Amino acid sequence: MDEGERVMVRKIILTTLLACASLNASAYKNDCVGCHNKLPVSLDKYFYRYLLKYSSERNVKSAMFEYLKNPSQESSVMAEAFISRFGVKEKTKLADEELSEALDRYWEKYKVFGKLQ
Amino acid sequence: MSKEKDTYLAQSEKQTLFRFSALYFLLSVVIISGFSYMYYDSQKELTLQEKKATLQEYSKTLLQELKELHVNFDKNRIYPRDEKFDSAIFDSDKKLIYATSPTHLRVDKILYLEGGMIHLVSIPESYYLGAKYVIVKMKDDAVWLGETKKELAIFVFLAFFFMLSVGYVLLRLFLKPMRDAIHLLDRFIKDTTHELNTPVSTIVANIEMIDKNSLDANLLKKINRIDVGAKTISNIYQDLTYVALGNKIVTRDENLDVYGVAKERADYFKSLANAKKVSLRVESLNPSTLYMDKAKFSKLLDNLISNAIKYNKINGSIVISVNAKEIIVRDTGVGIALENISKLQERYSRFNNVSGGFGLGLNIVASIAKEYDLKVETTSKEKEWTKVSASW
Repeated sequence: MDEGERVMVRKIILTTLLACASLNASAYKNDCVGCHNKLPVSLDKYFYRYLLKYSSERNVKSAMFEYLKNPSQESSVMAEAFISRFGVKEKTKLADEELSEALDRYWEKYKVFGKLQ
Repeated sequence: MSKEKDTYLAQSEKQTLFRFSALYFLLSVVIISGFSYMYYDSQKELTLQEKKATLQEYSKTLLQELKELHVNFDKNRIYPRDEKFDSAIFDSDKKLIYATSPTHLRVDKILYLEGGMIHLVSIPESYYLGAKYVIVKMKDDAVWLGETKKELAIFVFLAFFFMLSVGYVLLRLFLKPMRDAIHLLDRFIKDTTHELNTPVSTIVANIEMIDKNSLDANLLKKINRIDVGAKTISNIYQDLTYVALGNKIVTRDENLDVYGVAKERADYFKSLANAKKVSLRVESLNPSTLYMDKAKFSKLLDNLISNAIKYNKINGSIVISVNAKEIIVRDTGVGIALENISKLQERYSRFNNVSGGFGLGLNIVASIAKEYDLKVETTSKEKEWTKVSASW
């Protein structure tokens, strides 16, 4: 392996690592924000609906996780009118870790802790 | 009931009285504190209930404001405050979301007093901002506490006196059978000893008066035996009286000529010693005086001498030596084993079965010695000799 090849291999490894690192960030951005932006209801409204019903971080995250894994009209926190207009979303195709990571980002973005004055 | 009997009863009665009083006092304290605590708790509860309505009103207002804040959280993030009360919100994992002042969440009670603040915990139907537990709290003015304390002081005072009088009546009832039994026994012992005194003294005195020279040898022997028997009874009688009457024997302390008293007592015991063929001698090493009651000193000596005779061998000897500050009774008797010397002064203890006796003697010696601060020491070699010394 000559010097040029070594530099090439390093570049490939570095790029792969960066791509992997940005993958999680994009899970929330691409798979959540991406679709929800097309809906007239902004993403934070869902969050406060969950907060209103489930209260703590643990409960909110697990409820969202369950719903996204297995969405149904019964387990949805949204109003009936909303469901009848937009329907129930499809099952998530994200892996469990990716989904958890995305939910963590979602929680961090909209959580109440430390924001009240 | 005579005063004398009263004092005789004092010791055993005092003990019972003390135990009963301690138990009764303890029970009274437990009962009174129990009632006091219940009263205090009910007063506290009453105050809390009075404030509950106000706090519920505050809670309702706060919830309304939290609801508005929840809906408009993207525009407004100012937590609702009110100068009339403090508040705090916790999520379902009991994690603090926000508090206007440091607050500790208790989920075991809805309404409670802590750190001088009355707290009301409410759980709304919807968790605005994730708040499952909403606490509103206001300062307790403590007016009730002052009043309760005053009432409690009066209650404790009255209850204590009530318990005291009930206790006194109970104590009288409780002690009565015991007092009666002890009085009966006491009277019996005193009557018996009194009835014994006259005949025994008569026998001893009359034998003393017999002119021994005019008697033939056979009769003299018999008379001497009667003398020994009567003196033995007399000694036992005196020991019993001493123990039964305890400290109530009238004492008249005086300067005693120790040698004189020792000689007198030795003479008295001569016939007893002779009966056992034991020689009895008193020697004065130094002139000695002792400030003490004569009867008690005699009693002490009597016991030492009678023991020396009782536990002596046939043809043994007893020497009573009077020194400036001590008197020693030495015998050539059976001796006492080393391990038994320390137990000598226990009542009713006797260390061999050669002679009869009640085992009261050395107990009496010890009690007289204690009264007059005399130091009694026993040294002995088993089967050879015993030496008892009393020093002052």
